[in-house]
Amino acid sequence: MKTNTPVRSFISRELSYIALRTTGLLLAVLALGHFMITHITNDVAETDSSFVISRWSSTLWVVWDVLLLTSALIHAFAGLAVIVHDYSKNPESRARKLRLLSILVMLLLVIGLMVMAVSLFRIYGTGA
Amino acid sequence: MTSVQIGFLVLLSISFIVILGFIHKVWKVALLVDGGPKPSISRLTKLGRLPADRVEISRWAAYFHRISGVGIFIFLVLHIIDVSTIAFSRSLYDNLHQIYSTWPMRLFECGLLFALVFHALNGLRLTFVDIFDVGIRKSNIALRILLIISIVTTLGGSLIILQPVFN
Repeated sequence: MKTNTPVRSFISRELSYIALRTTGLLLAVLALGHFMITHITNDVAETDSSFVISRWSSTLWVVWDVLLLTSALIHAFAGLAVIVHDYSKNPESRARKLRLLSILVMLLLVIGLMVMAVSLFRIYGTGA
Repeated sequence: MTSVQIGFLVLLSISFIVILGFIHKVWKVALLVDGGPKPSISRLTKLGRLPADRVEISRWAAYFHRISGVGIFIFLVLHIIDVSTIAFSRSLYDNLHQIYSTWPMRLFECGLLFALVFHALNGLRLTFVDIFDVGIRKSNIALRILLIISIVTTLGGSLIILQPVFN
């Protein structure tokens, strides 16, 4: 019997399935909440750097943004992996695309977290 | 127009081209793999017709879920890059961020709102349908309701987002 063996990836399909749905549930609150405070309750013209800095001065919004960033990237990776599995039938090109995708997602996570770390250091780093 | 603003617009244009390319891919594979007649305006208007156990509308919801997901991800990439300018200098960020309050960008934000709300609600529907096994009929009724909610939310949100343009 010929089986259509998917490329062995470092994340199993079961874990990917669970991750896609749990991060999806989180994002339904986090992403829509983020859009709401930047476009509905505040006008987008007011969301300048002082708006960002004042938001990151509160622990709630730091936790919110870190969770939003990581869950959005996990969700995007799992979702795009499904699309790659659907549209790319050649195992080699599939593996290459998944590798490129994971590098892109890791890079974005590092950039996002570093930007937050630098900003938090500027806010709190001068010492008490 | 400063150089960072031009850079942002170039990246935004590239994003649109990538999204259009992806829509073309979804469309092509949809005709090739899933079969069925080519979608025309008259067919699209008949998508939501009753009875609710017709599956045609949920097939199109799946395509739009995919397209909106990829669109939101490409905007996320752009957004992470533009917010990262705040780590270099606050004035650079403020300068770049002025683009967000121009009227074409506000129109884009209205589209983003629709994509976000539809993708969130449709994703919740799919998760719910998976866990509780509610069947095609109820799932399609839920799809109609969430489509109405997405359109109403987007129209209401757009009024707020676009208000400064008319003042």
